[in-house]
Amino acid sequence: MLKDMFKKTYTLIDTKYKRPGRSEEPSIPQGLWRKCNKCGQPIYVEDVRNNYYICPKCNGYFRVHAYRRIEMVIDPGTFEEWDKHMEFSNPLNFPGYEKKVQAAKEKTKLDEAIVTGKGRINGRETVIGVCDARFMMSSMGHIVGEKIANAVERATAEKLPVIIFACSGGARMQEGLVSLMQMAKTSAALKKHHEAGQLFISVLTDPTTGGVTASFAMLGDIILAEPNALIGFAGPRVIEQTIGQKLPEGFQRAEFLLEHGFVDKIVEREDLKDTLSQILKMHERKTPEECARLIREAQDEEKRVEELHAQDKKDETEKEEKGRSSKKNKEEAEKTAWDKVLLSRQADRPAALDYIRAIFDEFIEFHGDRYFKDDGAIVGGIATFRGIPVTVIGQQKGKNTKENIKRNFGMPSPEGYRKALRLMKQAETFGRPIICFVDTPGAFCGIEAEENGQGEAIARNLFEMSDLKVPVLSIMIGEGGSGGALAMAVANEVWMMENAIYSILSPEGFASILWKDSKKAPEAAKYMKITAKDIYELHLIERVIPEKEPASSETLPAIAEDIRRDLDDFLKKYLPVPGEELAQQRYERFRRM
Amino acid sequence: MFDKILIANRGEIAVRIIRACREMGIKTVAVYSEADRECLHTLLADEAICIGPAPSTQSYLNMERIIAATVALKADAIHPGFGFLSENARFAELCQKCNITFIGPSADIINKMGNKSEARKTMMEAGIPVVPGSKEPVYTAEDGLAMAKEIGFPVMIKASSGGGGRGMRISRSEEDFEANFQNAQLESIKGFSDDTMYIEKYIEKPRHIEFQIMADKYGNVVHLGERDCSIQRRHQKVLEESPSVAISPELRKIMGETAVRAAKTVGYENAGTIEFLLDKDKNFYFMEMNTRIQVEHPVTEMVTGIDLIKEQILVASGEPLSVKQEDVVISGHAIECRINAENPQKNFMPCPGRITNILIPGGKGVRVDTHIYSNYTVPPNYDSMLLKLICHSKDRETAIAKMRGALGELIIEGIDTNIDFEFDILSNEAFQDGDVDTNFIPTYFPQYCKE
Repeated sequence: MLKDMFKKTYTLIDTKYKRPGRSEEPSIPQGLWRKCNKCGQPIYVEDVRNNYYICPKCNGYFRVHAYRRIEMVIDPGTFEEWDKHMEFSNPLNFPGYEKKVQAAKEKTKLDEAIVTGKGRINGRETVIGVCDARFMMSSMGHIVGEKIANAVERATAEKLPVIIFACSGGARMQEGLVSLMQMAKTSAALKKHHEAGQLFISVLTDPTTGGVTASFAMLGDIILAEPNALIGFAGPRVIEQTIGQKLPEGFQRAEFLLEHGFVDKIVEREDLKDTLSQILKMHERKTPEECARLIREAQDEEKRVEELHAQDKKDETEKEEKGRSSKKNKEEAEKTAWDKVLLSRQADRPAALDYIRAIFDEFIEFHGDRYFKDDGAIVGGIATFRGIPVTVIGQQKGKNTKENIKRNFGMPSPEGYRKALRLMKQAETFGRPIICFVDTPGAFCGIEAEENGQGEAIARNLFEMSDLKVPVLSIMIGEGGSGGALAMAVANEVWMMENAIYSILSPEGFASILWKDSKKAPEAAKYMKITAKDIYELHLIERVIPEKEPASSETLPAIAEDIRRDLDDFLKKYLPVPGEELAQQRYERFRRM
Repeated sequence: MFDKILIANRGEIAVRIIRACREMGIKTVAVYSEADRECLHTLLADEAICIGPAPSTQSYLNMERIIAATVALKADAIHPGFGFLSENARFAELCQKCNITFIGPSADIINKMGNKSEARKTMMEAGIPVVPGSKEPVYTAEDGLAMAKEIGFPVMIKASSGGGGRGMRISRSEEDFEANFQNAQLESIKGFSDDTMYIEKYIEKPRHIEFQIMADKYGNVVHLGERDCSIQRRHQKVLEESPSVAISPELRKIMGETAVRAAKTVGYENAGTIEFLLDKDKNFYFMEMNTRIQVEHPVTEMVTGIDLIKEQILVASGEPLSVKQEDVVISGHAIECRINAENPQKNFMPCPGRITNILIPGGKGVRVDTHIYSNYTVPPNYDSMLLKLICHSKDRETAIAKMRGALGELIIEGIDTNIDFEFDILSNEAFQDGDVDTNFIPTYFPQYCKE
């Protein structure tokens, strides 16, 4: 209503404020900002550069040039490029190919679509290869294949790990079948590397498709992916045209692959260097003597700290002990097998991940069975214990309904057992001891589980685990439900928490089969001999881990302390034993049962 | 001198800047959001350009649009006002890159002073007294507690990026420390995505005394006396005055010189405010520096007769300061009441809506800075401040009397305001005696301080 009513007169046009001739007009310098090709918002080029080439508005990942990627992950000044220049050839005499390559060279200032070489990540030496999508979509021509094969061979010879950042449209059409052969060539080189017990980490970035996906990119001992990266064999457009259907949201994205078991972990770009560095550190081989020294040092340090706190602790424990011992004796006398069944199932009882976090210094979780799916009921990965890398695998229950849906109430599916086995085989390759945390009502009972071969998956684990050439320890922390538990308990030693159970069948099931009345479960529990104490007396397990108070989030730190001490002994005992003997010992352990 | 200035702000301060420009013969460009088509600044400026939808993140905080508008309309400078982008170093830097003068200090200085830990360090190095506390930022309650024990309770837990009371907690003992620390840190993480905290001595019965400084490109720095902003509710200022009854001419000289030294230390340019805490024994401590014009700048203008906005524009255009320190004379007493669209009875709930009737008081020494008018609808998207009522008189007593009268005349109908609350403060005996500290409102108006 006041619109256009004001008299906008300038009262002081010729004032003391003299106005010199206009200096430069305001303008936006070229390249100050650009449009994000994902969200369409204007973004500052500098922000993008300082933000690992991630859009600050929509968090979309931009493709990264090879040398910038190397800058992001390799310590400054440590990169040594290999095969920088290789002679170009046109195997099919394909018309215009040379010109096209020449143009790509000029545009990208690169010699080919991949840069390979050697460098350090937080001080750890590694061989690295990085695809650059600007160069003909980083398609795998014979030079790309050659550079990868060369790099892998040199890594094998120099006993170095290999990291390859994949980003490619696939084969190079202009090279025809010669390009196809690069898939076999690179895969074969990696097989040799693997057989030599050397590490290969594949990092999948947007996009990884075609022949690259069907060769080196999917062969990592550990496969990492950037968020939302497109990863697939056939391109989404081709699939859509072929099947005449619209593809669902998120199809062939990194998250989709994670869910389907083909990616170990999705890593944000800013965390990539540290994650790679952590994985490299976890793959540094340690001799049994070094491990023994690490354990000794850690023990000495703990002893020193303990002595420092000894006095105040003593007063405390004395007080506590007094209160507790009388209480405990009473409870102990009252605790029946059925009480323990109920205790072992309690929702607030610590689950595998709680133990893993309480016992180990570091833990990096890996996902997927590499066939079909990632099972939430099984968690696993590499942890370090007193600086010694170990593979840990656990059956994971949830603490509430939401978690339990994700964890399927701790009932693994075949893909869970296959994931566990994959991680165990990985441990064997790199000489890591395996520690399993068993806590399951049983293997999942359902249609899909049968379709995917639940029986086969469990059997395969018993079969393969018996022969692993590394120390295997299984700790029953809650419910040890039948075959579902045994599939992770073919170990050199099996330990049980005082209030854990291990049984052929649930007491309810037992009662209903034998007495046609599942309500008689408490009675069944008594006869079944399923408590840690009973099983120890049957000589089926090696150790009972005491629970002064039933395990809970409050008592877990103290329990973890005890387990750490027992683990020290376990590792000291088994690490020096040769692999064949470990397998034989395991064989005999079950042979006598 | 500039030919055209774009005002990257809204409401009362935008109007204030347009008026200053008009006096100086400078054309003005207003930017407005879709919610502000009818706002006075939009109507009053020579040109106006819409920069986006109502939410400020998409309009008044949208740097790209504001810069693009400046370039399109060929303005040579941007005045950021207060709030919004006024203390955004990135924005200042962008202006510079686009050959636009940002009316304020350089990006570098905004950065330096905006990070409270760093600002504090800089000031300590310059020998300026600061509140005893953690020199190093802390990130965990455990470290914080150790620090607190060293400093001695009570302590103030503050978020490095915090402001306006957010991310701030007082801990009086070891027992309540952890909970307070967690809360403050959570607020900071939520509000500013920053978990950097620091711990400092909590000063009891402190006054909030701030010194206005003004600096030009040539290293001249003057201070324009103090403002006493002790009347605060949840760290939000409610009423400000100048001069402060707690400051003697000798102390003013010492604190003023300290403020000038602080500004010189960082090579400051343009208008700025150095905030101090003054304890009951007249010890003062540097708190922070605000690198912008402030809401309460009119009280300084009234007692010094200097137009701060015009001075800002002058020095930004490269002119030297128009005043020297010896020219600055504090005469009389000025009080400012912030009139907000809020209901004190309902925990100061904001009360946007249509103003059906308005009467603005006047007379000698009565100044009103506002953007509201009859039938204007206050949008719900922005700060609830409607109007600043400033009274200037020969001394504090008569200024209070004048303000009470003016508040009585001020009529705003259609929405709830805090006019009566301001009147109650002015009627309070302790206030009239000048016996105030930052706990004044919780002490005398506990009914208004329920959580």
